[in-house]
Amino acid sequence: MRLSPIVIAETVCLISAVALVWKDKYAFWKVVTCYIAIALLTEQYAAYLSSRHQHNLWLFNIFLFFEISTILFGLYHCIKAYINPKPIFAIGGGIICLSYVIFLFKQPFSESNNLTISVMSVVYALYCLYYYYLLLKDENFIEIKNHPEFWWVTGVLFYYFGSTMANIFDGLFNVKIIGYATLRYCIYVLLNYILYSLWIYSFICRMKQRKLQS
Amino acid sequence: MQNETTKIAILVAISTLIFLLMPIFLLLYIRSYNRHKKNHVLEKQNMQQKFEAEMLQARVEVQDQTMQSIATELHDNVGQLLSLTTLTLNSVNLSDEVKAKKKIENSLQLVNKSIKELRELAKLLHGEQLVENGLGHAIDQEISWLSKSGAYELQVNNTLSESDYTSPDKDLIILRLLQEIINNMIKHAQATQIQIDAYLATNVLHLKVKENGVGFNPDEIKARKSGMGLNSIYKRIEMINGKLILNSAPGKGTSISIEIPYP
Repeated sequence: MRLSPIVIAETVCLISAVALVWKDKYAFWKVVTCYIAIALLTEQYAAYLSSRHQHNLWLFNIFLFFEISTILFGLYHCIKAYINPKPIFAIGGGIICLSYVIFLFKQPFSESNNLTISVMSVVYALYCLYYYYLLLKDENFIEIKNHPEFWWVTGVLFYYFGSTMANIFDGLFNVKIIGYATLRYCIYVLLNYILYSLWIYSFICRMKQRKLQS
Repeated sequence: MQNETTKIAILVAISTLIFLLMPIFLLLYIRSYNRHKKNHVLEKQNMQQKFEAEMLQARVEVQDQTMQSIATELHDNVGQLLSLTTLTLNSVNLSDEVKAKKKIENSLQLVNKSIKELRELAKLLHGEQLVENGLGHAIDQEISWLSKSGAYELQVNNTLSESDYTSPDKDLIILRLLQEIINNMIKHAQATQIQIDAYLATNVLHLKVKENGVGFNPDEIKARKSGMGLNSIYKRIEMINGKLILNSAPGKGTSISIEIPYP
């Protein structure tokens, strides 16, 4: 079993999260740390199943529950600093859940849930843009360079906005670029590196912020 | 078919690149906007500090003026009354009971008058307490004090008492402005008729004072830049973003119209 680039990125991010934000008083940072740990375990177990030539898409479909709930919770946490986001999150969450239910009815659980992933990506990208809008509209300015929530949301935007095209055209192209790696895989490696780099930076910002506040 | 797949792959790669570039440009835009917002907030803070400093300066000036008013009132009015009382009491001859009684009664009247004058002075000077009941009420008090002198024919239209709006920061400045204008009229105008209008219209407070006195050349007075006169009035109006229109000419009386955003 080889150590994939995504696993390396996740491991580094998990270590950073545990070291920098695990002791934070806000549940948000603990939830994010747990999510990264789950993502890492899922990735490792999926690699193990793959090495034994067994299907692993069902595992990613289970993991999707954690992904949907954690990112929704994270965005909720960031947006609630400006408005009461319950109604818009009820709508967005409802749409994602509906897409999951449609998938369950239409396709077997062992297949890739591209419908939910695509819907989720669009909804998350919209929430991120809405967060930016609220941030710009707010009368008080924030020092974005050191604002942990801003960089966390930016990571989410890069990942879900960047993966939109790869999700939509998934299955239509399987061009191999480097050895066994397909273009889709390369795009996901790049997106994961951007996501986890920005999240690590947001953890550093949060740690600095916490030190300043104490 | 292989060619088609490659085309799709290139399309996806380019689209993904564009989709990744867009957040980068968005970030640059947010950074730039945020920097402008920061400058704006800092500028606003500076202006607020400047405004507060000017308010403080104005308060000090007003206090100085108040002290002068107290000194003048005490010297010219209460002081004279009490001197007269002393003189009257000194001249009392207890052997002549009838005259002594009359003199003591006179002295008592003078003392009562002094007390009354002191009370009036206290009321007039305690502006902050006056504006607590609203600017309209404070202006009424000021006008009532002016009317007691009996030297002027007053025409008053003050509808501010009916308004529920208040602006604690501005109220005292506006009241002091009116006091300053009235003081100037008493000192210099030699007017016989004074018309005062105070009303609120579409979030703008209008204060108009018109008299039929000797008038003056406004440009000449402004150029002098002396003491607490016209320049001080202009400065205080500027501080509360107000506007002053002054019409005056020698022999033709003076009219002052003030407009202030309110509350």
